Amino acid sequence: MFLIHEKSTAGNLLSEINSTKKEALDFIDKIDQTKENSLWPNVKSKLFYDNLKLNLEKPLSFYPGRSTNFCSYGALSYLVMEKDPLGYVKFMNELYEKGEAIFNNNHFKPSDAVMNAAGTLKFKGVLDIRHAEQMWFLVLADKFKGYLNFFDKKFNEGDENSFWAATNLGKFDRMVNKMCGVHVKAVGSDLIKPWVKDDYSYLSKRIDSNTVSLYINNRIIHKKNHDKIKFSIPTHFIILRQIRKDGDMITLRYWDYGGETEMQITSRTLKKIIFGIITIDK
Amino acid sequence: MIRLSFISISCLLLVASCSTKIISTNIYQEQKENLDNIERHYEKLNPANHFSLAFTDTKFNIVSLEMITDTLTRIYEFNVTEKRLVDSLIKFNYDTAGIYYLIRKMQQSKVTWINSFDYYVNDLPQQLIILSIKPVTIRYIFSPPKYVALAYFRTNQFFDEKGRLLDGRRTKEVRKIKGQVFYKITDRICYTITEKYR
Repeated sequence: MFLIHEKSTAGNLLSEINSTKKEALDFIDKIDQTKENSLWPNVKSKLFYDNLKLNLEKPLSFYPGRSTNFCSYGALSYLVMEKDPLGYVKFMNELYEKGEAIFNNNHFKPSDAVMNAAGTLKFKGVLDIRHAEQMWFLVLADKFKGYLNFFDKKFNEGDENSFWAATNLGKFDRMVNKMCGVHVKAVGSDLIKPWVKDDYSYLSKRIDSNTVSLYINNRIIHKKNHDKIKFSIPTHFIILRQIRKDGDMITLRYWDYGGETEMQITSRTLKKIIFGIITIDK
Repeated sequence: MIRLSFISISCLLLVASCSTKIISTNIYQEQKENLDNIERHYEKLNPANHFSLAFTDTKFNIVSLEMITDTLTRIYEFNVTEKRLVDSLIKFNYDTAGIYYLIRKMQQSKVTWINSFDYYVNDLPQQLIILSIKPVTIRYIFSPPKYVALAYFRTNQFFDEKGRLLDGRRTKEVRKIKGQVFYKITDRICYTITEKYR
């Protein structure tokens, strides 16, 4: 299904998956962090464990990499780290040691190609030296599939930038529900914009009591060429952190690549860029 | 007969639509001094307060300024004559005169984007500066735009016999930046032709 006007995903609610950063740090301090593992031939243990510690200390630092299709997994990481940091480090540690692991009843056993690729991604900015994040993003893309991945299901070199890693709205909702065990409500679709009268009011009503993720056409606000005619399709997932209005100017503050971005746009541009609004229980 | 001509013209248009031709094949050499000056000037300004500049219109009047800190990136779009631009630069402690000089030079040389990139060699951070130029082109209907992107490395790089940028001294692996193969101009500077300016 690629068209969703309004859809709720609540099939996998888990009641007790919350944990704290302190519990996660205590756990990681007790692990032998020097062990190399032949299952992941290109993952360096020091870079792996340093990265896990960074994820705990600064969860907003998750960086999906330059020119990749990992943005949806980046947004998912934000939600996972809010809910269950201990679950994340336990999962990553087990995955590193055994080559397979379970996260909230989701069994992950990545393909050999993915295990070989982790630690080799290059020229992606700081993701180059973040071996845990490389592993995490690749494993998520390997596990969760949507219709955009139909013709490219097996990982080949360079597929982090291709349809193999792409995510549509329905797949994103499913991932959030399954990984975080929370109720997810989405309006919008992959092709048609949400049936919302006033986007600003809709978003500002929900942002305090929920986590709000947006599926947007980033090409309008982050132009890459000077063509006036552009395909009107969504390209990017972000986590909305703040929204305020001053006259017709709307200031958005959102999280995407390792930090927050602040941007001023008109109400008309806001309407133009949003294809999906995903409201997630806190 | 009319129908045949129409079909022939349509076919020609379709064939021609496959590619955009860049008029000059030697943009870097023609504008070497200006381009190197822009790069040097950006390199001087950038470390104090990290930023990138992009012209989002073809007349080089609208500039998208990204002001980047460790935790927050502010993205604002201005007309270069707007007072809001100078106000924002002052508010966030940027070198206003320096950035205005850079904007003027970029307009003159049709540089549509400048930014710095981090990359890693032996797990150690390195930096390069990329600038994109909007060249004069012959563009057919439906053909994609073309830009010339220049990458300025701080140290000498390695290239194969075809002039392609390599990942290192002991490898034959071609290094791609944003999915593009780059070709040698000098030991430190290389270029690619791309459909996106950033």
